[in-house]
Amino acid sequence: MSKVYGAYLCTGCGIGNVLDADGLKDAASETGIKMQEHDCLCGAEGLALINKDIAEKGVNTLVICACSPRVMQDVFSFGENTITIRGNLREQVAWAAGDAEKGDEFIQELGEDYVRMAVTRAQKSELPKPYLLENISKKILVMGGGIAGLTAATEAAKAGYEVTLVEKTAKLGGKALGWRKMFPTAYPYCQLEQPNIEQLVAAATSNSKITIKTETEVARIGGAPGAFKVSFKVAGSKSEWDAPAKVAVDEQEKIDKGEKEDPNAGLQVYTAVDPAADIYGAVVLATGWRPADVSEYEHLGYGKVKNVVTNAEFEKIAKTGKVPAKVAFIQSPGGKDHDRDFPYCNSVTSMVALKQAQYVCDDNENGQAYILYQHIRTPGNTELFYKGMQQRDGVFMTKAAVTKIEEGGAGLKVTAENTLLGDTLELEVDMVVLAAGMVPTTADAPTVNLAYRQGPAFLDLNLFDGYADSHFICFPYETRRTGVYTCGGVRKAETMEETIDDATGAALKAIQCIESANRGVAVHPRSGDMTFPDFFFQRCTQCKRCTEECPFGAIDDDAKGTPLPNPTRCRRCGTCMGACPERIIGFADYNIDMIGSMVKSINVPDDDEDKLRIAVFVCENDAYPALDMAGMRRNKLNTLVRFIPVRCLGSVNMVWIKDAMSSGMDGVLLLGCRHGENYQCHFVKGSEIASKRMANIGETLGTLGLEPERCAAEQVAISDYDKIPGIIESFVESIKEMGPNPFKGF
Amino acid sequence: MSVKVQPDIDFIKEMKEAGGDTLKKCFQCATCSVVCPLSSDQKPFPRQQMIFAQWGLKDRLLGDPNVLLCHQCGDCTAYCPRGARPGDVMGAIRAYAYRHYGWPSFLANLASKSQNLPILFGIPAAIICIMWLIAGGSHNIPNAKDFVDFGYSHFFGHWDFKFLTRNVLFIDLIMIPTASLSVFAVFKGVTGLWKKMTENAGIGAALYRPSPLQFVKEFLWPSVQEIVRHDRFKKCEANKDRVAGHQPLMWAFIGLFFVTGYSFISQDFIGILLPSLHGPMSMLNPVKIIANIAAIAMIYGVGVLWSNRSEMEESGQATSTFYDWFLIWMIMGVGVTGMGSELMRLIGIPSLGYVVYYLHLVSVMMLFLYMPYTKFAHLVYRTLAMTFERYRESAYVKNPLMG
Repeated sequence: MSKVYGAYLCTGCGIGNVLDADGLKDAASETGIKMQEHDCLCGAEGLALINKDIAEKGVNTLVICACSPRVMQDVFSFGENTITIRGNLREQVAWAAGDAEKGDEFIQELGEDYVRMAVTRAQKSELPKPYLLENISKKILVMGGGIAGLTAATEAAKAGYEVTLVEKTAKLGGKALGWRKMFPTAYPYCQLEQPNIEQLVAAATSNSKITIKTETEVARIGGAPGAFKVSFKVAGSKSEWDAPAKVAVDEQEKIDKGEKEDPNAGLQVYTAVDPAADIYGAVVLATGWRPADVSEYEHLGYGKVKNVVTNAEFEKIAKTGKVPAKVAFIQSPGGKDHDRDFPYCNSVTSMVALKQAQYVCDDNENGQAYILYQHIRTPGNTELFYKGMQQRDGVFMTKAAVTKIEEGGAGLKVTAENTLLGDTLELEVDMVVLAAGMVPTTADAPTVNLAYRQGPAFLDLNLFDGYADSHFICFPYETRRTGVYTCGGVRKAETMEETIDDATGAALKAIQCIESANRGVAVHPRSGDMTFPDFFFQRCTQCKRCTEECPFGAIDDDAKGTPLPNPTRCRRCGTCMGACPERIIGFADYNIDMIGSMVKSINVPDDDEDKLRIAVFVCENDAYPALDMAGMRRNKLNTLVRFIPVRCLGSVNMVWIKDAMSSGMDGVLLLGCRHGENYQCHFVKGSEIASKRMANIGETLGTLGLEPERCAAEQVAISDYDKIPGIIESFVESIKEMGPNPFKGF
Repeated sequence: MSVKVQPDIDFIKEMKEAGGDTLKKCFQCATCSVVCPLSSDQKPFPRQQMIFAQWGLKDRLLGDPNVLLCHQCGDCTAYCPRGARPGDVMGAIRAYAYRHYGWPSFLANLASKSQNLPILFGIPAAIICIMWLIAGGSHNIPNAKDFVDFGYSHFFGHWDFKFLTRNVLFIDLIMIPTASLSVFAVFKGVTGLWKKMTENAGIGAALYRPSPLQFVKEFLWPSVQEIVRHDRFKKCEANKDRVAGHQPLMWAFIGLFFVTGYSFISQDFIGILLPSLHGPMSMLNPVKIIANIAAIAMIYGVGVLWSNRSEMEESGQATSTFYDWFLIWMIMGVGVTGMGSELMRLIGIPSLGYVVYYLHLVSVMMLFLYMPYTKFAHLVYRTLAMTFERYRESAYVKNPLMG
């Protein structure tokens, strides 16, 4: 595309009140682009001005210096064949100017720099061409034939997609086959219902779009969304196509020296392509859970004292016959040490205890069910189920610290302290039921068996007890493996009703992923982004940083370590671009040269000690909107800083910091999402990686005789719009104390 | 203290039937204990009583003074977020306790159910009717002139033996055994309750027992003073008006107790020496004035309580139970028939007067006879609980050296 530029300045919304339009136009002219001015660019007249240029002059690259790029996106949209770059003069200049008036040179210089940066960006942007797979499969693989898998398969089939359902055992239905009753699903939420698992099985088996493979396991999944290559095997057997374990470099050395056994002996390498593999577009992982082991709680006597059983075992008794008349249900194992419930219980075990208490009352005329809890968790409508059970004469509940279970009298003696009755209780019961949690299958084994460079399992942040993680706030169905969606017990301890909702969601997510791959665009959080990372391989040094750091395992490599990108696995965060020391990775509209040039387009006065310049790289996901909100609330922002939006702090390449410092700027700040525990990074690892890189570059600055503190990274949340001006202010103050960059002007 | 739990499911069912049908709804949030003006941190009632009742721990509740300390103001029921109506449940527990401690038990059971109302009324009605027939029956109805002179003092006829009139003898024959039965039943109940309360509170053999005088002076008398002042009653918020009814009613009973005592002494003892004391008192006699004021106070007080209870029930703050209404009806009966028979005498309609007087005797006998088993029993049981509360905290129980 040969570019024809058109630049437009809006002076409405207060921009014209603080900025001198002629000065801004001059800044654009310096770069060779003439800028036109209008006092309401988003109005009919303003748009007509732009459209006229497009029609008459063939303008296809537009620079619009007006409001934030986050607003008026539909108004300033001129078709797929144009590039539109927005300069933010409203939220981050005019509205953040405080009571400054026209003629304030600090404000004017700020506005002019934003014009220069916008124009530079336009010059460096290319129209993206989507990455399209040659052969795309729209089939969906569902792993697991329980409620979640059956629902996901049926829902995907209903939406018109071919599904293959893989079940390890000989029979579909999973754990639900063993339930005597299921929780109420309809008002008044008081009556237990007959399990509907048989209907679910029937719906799946009778659907012609669903192929069912029982007694089958997935050996490995290679490839990428739109073209996953799946090798099946007979359940329990070994196959050369089993997914190889990840072997770290030092482990490989030991293996080579014969000091360690090769875990992957006899297996095909992860990049090998199984010629017999089936091709799928996306995967739904519904492999469920297993009952947790509760023998570690010695005072509860599981495994030692007769008739102490888990809730899962009790359900089996209830399914096949009559339950005992006096039963204690223990919800929390901590005794007097803590009040946590059993691990992996969520709200399900509370519901199960209530359900099983009803069996006790139903099966025995004078049934007595004691529920000893620290928490009863019955969210939403299930509160009505709790209320209903509470009404029954034979159900006794109290908050309690259960300290001992022993054989005594005719049966068992349960001792519970700190009860609501004010005393230590001694209960004589026939049976004790422990509320064991639901451990996801992914906690024990990789399960999903990916043939990826980063290993066969989901990456674990060690934050979620073995549950697959992506972004726990914004993208609950996602995993960090694009195209693989979890649902049911493998994702969260949940009830049958929740599982059905969950599985439907996962099926729709899988479809969304396939269709995105089909159009060559990204899935969340950059849904619809047509760009993808492009590698200039001639200069690759096989350093493996991109393959290691990609939060989504999108990049495999060959035996030498040359990256093998899988664009449909990619979420377009640019972490690889930020990692690459050779700067060979870039996107059509976002690359090293572009941002570097934008940094360099900032005018750095070298003769005025008051006019310090600080570059702030701002994450587009939360920090940038927070800045806009600060402007909307007319919070004054420091005029010495220049904000540069980035896709994720993970994409910030350290060369930009060097560019900024070497062009005489006095400091660099990164503003991004919170990382670590309670992380909010939309790409999970980006902001964490960036803060490590910043610490390293600080050291580098130190070797040059510059203060390491000139480079910093701050974590902000989207709701921190009121704090951001202060964070920036204090950073600027610390730079002021250090004084100007000593290399200024060189 | 460690408790072996033996839930009594029948007890739970009985509670539910006796006005505590909501008790299982409680989820122990303790809003009730917070709003209750009488509850303290150490005695978180009625929250704790709710779970005792839910768990069917009959023994705990029967020896729990807190159940009896509740003044049933309804604050807890008004604020309960679950509609568990703790106030009603506490009432149901008390009703159960009075029955449990009641002796003889058939009478206690009889007095607890509305379907027994014909028998409850029938027993005194029959006894008095039979006595009246034995005494001469319709021969005793006087002419208008005699009615003015003698009033109801010839109800059971008369004889010339002027030192102990026939009337006084018959009334004594009816009321003294009734009152004695009642007093004995109360004694049985009170000792039973005291034993249970000390047992549940874990009070073993006291190091030093207070002498009866000390006991009265240190524990009983302050409790009585508190009751008379209505200190606790006045703390209730949801039903402030109840003090306006209960206080005059209490004073009416004190007044009438005095008048009855005076009459008993003047008729049965001094009357033997001074026969002129027999017959209706002058309206100007100070005792008669007290009697009339007390009667008015009684009708007024019970009237206030009547309308209060109706309002509470209409607004859903309380459940209608026989236990609550039976006492109101009996007291209203005593008051109205008493005033009625006096009015008939003053107007001079002997036949109607005799009927009303007969009903008056019946209602008074009911009040005496059923006192230990009905809500009226709170008179002794609550006083005892308040006394126990003081005793429990005293140095006799808590070894001051051990803290």
